[in-house]
Amino acid sequence: MRNYILKRLFGMVVVVFLVLTIAFVLVRLAPGDPAALMLGPDATPAETAALRARLGLDQPILVQYATFIGHALRGDLGRSLFFDQPVLSVLAHRAEPTTFLALFSLMFAVVIAVPIGIFVAYRRGTVADQTAVSAAMLAASVPSFWTGLILQRWFATDLGWFPASGYGGPEASYLDRMGYLILPSIVLGIVNSALILRFSRASMLDVLGEDFIRTARSKGMSEARVVLRHALKNAAIPIVTVIGLTFALLVSGAVVTERVFNIPGMGNLVVGAVLRRDYPVIQGTLIVVATLYILVNLAVDLLYLLIDRRVRY
Amino acid sequence: MKNCLSLVLAAALASAALPATANEVINVAIIGEPDTLDPMVSTKDVVSIVTQHVVETLYTFDSSWAVAPLLAEDLPTIADDGKTYDIKLREGISFSDGSAMDSADVVASLQRWLKVASRGKVVADKVKSVTAKGMYEIEIKMSSPYAPLLSLLAFSNSAAAIYPEEILPQGDGQIAEVVGTGPYKYGEHVPDQYLQLVRFDGFVPRDEPANGGSGKRGQVPDEIRFVPVPDPNTRVEGLLSGQFDFADSLPAESYDRVASSDKAKPVLLEPFGWPIWAINHKAGLLSNQKIRQALLTALPFDDMLFAAFGNDKFFKVDGAMYPQGWAWNTDAGTELYDQNDPDNAGELLEEAGYDGTPLRILTSRQYEFHYKMAEVAKQALEAAGFKVQMDVVDWATLGQRRDDPSLWDIYISHSPFLPEPALTDMWFASSRVGWSEPEKDKLADAFVSETDPEKRKAIFAELQKKNYEDVGFIKVGNFNALLGEAKSLEGVDPSPWPYFWNAAKK
Repeated sequence: MRNYILKRLFGMVVVVFLVLTIAFVLVRLAPGDPAALMLGPDATPAETAALRARLGLDQPILVQYATFIGHALRGDLGRSLFFDQPVLSVLAHRAEPTTFLALFSLMFAVVIAVPIGIFVAYRRGTVADQTAVSAAMLAASVPSFWTGLILQRWFATDLGWFPASGYGGPEASYLDRMGYLILPSIVLGIVNSALILRFSRASMLDVLGEDFIRTARSKGMSEARVVLRHALKNAAIPIVTVIGLTFALLVSGAVVTERVFNIPGMGNLVVGAVLRRDYPVIQGTLIVVATLYILVNLAVDLLYLLIDRRVRY
Repeated sequence: MKNCLSLVLAAALASAALPATANEVINVAIIGEPDTLDPMVSTKDVVSIVTQHVVETLYTFDSSWAVAPLLAEDLPTIADDGKTYDIKLREGISFSDGSAMDSADVVASLQRWLKVASRGKVVADKVKSVTAKGMYEIEIKMSSPYAPLLSLLAFSNSAAAIYPEEILPQGDGQIAEVVGTGPYKYGEHVPDQYLQLVRFDGFVPRDEPANGGSGKRGQVPDEIRFVPVPDPNTRVEGLLSGQFDFADSLPAESYDRVASSDKAKPVLLEPFGWPIWAINHKAGLLSNQKIRQALLTALPFDDMLFAAFGNDKFFKVDGAMYPQGWAWNTDAGTELYDQNDPDNAGELLEEAGYDGTPLRILTSRQYEFHYKMAEVAKQALEAAGFKVQMDVVDWATLGQRRDDPSLWDIYISHSPFLPEPALTDMWFASSRVGWSEPEKDKLADAFVSETDPEKRKAIFAELQKKNYEDVGFIKVGNFNALLGEAKSLEGVDPSPWPYFWNAAKK
């Protein structure tokens, strides 16, 4: 077990190093000059060149890469060209809204999707099953920006129940700030509930057809006990996997939803960084996201141990 | 447990309904995060909009875009030869760090401006010296007369901002913490979330009544809060929901919706600016005058504007470089505007010996109207015999590529109508487009050297005519900008760089 975790963590270092290199190369392959963007439309070529030199962008690419790797090994992901702050500090600031948005939307999705998925699997082929499957398909097909705009218009603009956008001003309390996340959480929750519902239903259907379920029923167990104790426990592994991956995806930045609701999170940051060619922020975000994916995957794998005693590493 | 959840949800809903802010706070949605809080080093409008509340210049513009004094006591005394400017400063002015403003601060700030600011560099080679003549007076000596100097000193964009001498960095470094003499000072700044400006208690307003940017800056709101909202639809919803008191740059399609709101109203900035087709004179196809003339002859400006803005409420087909009502308005040369004559354009191409080399139009979809007008123009140009290559890139790439003359023939941009024509650098041979022609260069020199306003107008008419004849750069037409403000808000003058020091909520 310990060896397994160590092996995975070592693998993580290799993957992060690869991501580091790929991120460095990719952002520089994209055309566009951060210095020209920062100076504005009337800047002269000479001014742009001077700013490029000040930012170190005039150095040969290998020198820039060596500097970047050297700093990254010391835990320094560089300085944002746009915000003029350390990248880690910029990312840390965006972590709070994104993490809470991910948690709330995941809670919303799980609370709705898992029970419905289990229920309609049990009632397979009924009107309820067909309705749930159709609704899930609809939820997965409608783009989140559209759902976001509609909910924003109804619940913020017309009804005034929620703020339309943002994450609060200086006087906003913690609770106020959470209030800003309700609408975007619902939007993301709707989209992700479709995926989780379909996985829950499919997984339960597989398990409900197994011999041990028939055996449990033949022993005279109640249906609730058969479904919740025997079937659900065995169907949980794929459901936990999809929930884990969904969480990682959400934390890495719900780009469109954060943009529509102007949430100052990781998604909004990375869109802005790409448009502004803020290389260190793009690189830093990719590294953090890659690390997060690996850690969430590891956590999900370890969770299997709790769910199913037969699993051994 | 159920009750507990209900309570939490109710509390969240109640607190989320709208943030609790005092009446004296004006919330302004801007198009993005300002790159810097130092307006001297940026030409971006969003930087000007925010920073003009904090830092001030010697001069500013009144509502008719005439230069008016701000930190200067009055307009300068200019020697007869037009080469010496004597500027008296207001006394008793403090910076928000508590230090008093005097001539040493002004001299140091102007010297930095000449060195680091785009607009300062334009005039730097003509400035012989900037010196103090006592505690509250400075003198600027020029090597030759330069009429746009006061406009440059007044502009909030690449601004000749006055800072305490002590905070100015050596070389071209950045100011660590920006302080100014304006009615507000920087409060809390959470990037991408808000930038808070709080009232500066030591501010000394001018005595004259408010008139555009000049006169009394009232410090009416206690606080102005700028919220970066990059998505235009989100700015609309925030305005209509009452979250913002003012929203900059709204999409034209939202006009009717904002107009029918019971909380907000549209503000049409008419006219706001002009789409520009910048022409590469340094290299490539358009270094040939006949081909440039064919280009101008072929372009259907009315169709391009309609495609770009969709509704004539938002544009005007107008060839004059400045719209009616401006001192610089003239129709000289405009008979060559909007010819839309493919046959004549084809003949000009033939005369030029056009060999089918593609005309490269560099544009971006970041400003959708740039792209739409290019699409329409492409059809017309092809009908005239041009082979057209559209290079559609994002704005960052366009900003990089336009600095290399070998990569483009035309790039598309836009500008607000600037108070002084000389602020548009494309008139001068030193600009990126490199438009140089002996007669035009002579006119441009005369325009910046002449100090008599009437004579300058006459020279500008000649310049405009020359621009049409030689096709230096192309003005597509006039377009309007849509802003929005809460119905409860008053005291905000429509401007490309709106200010809120006299804004109040009813």
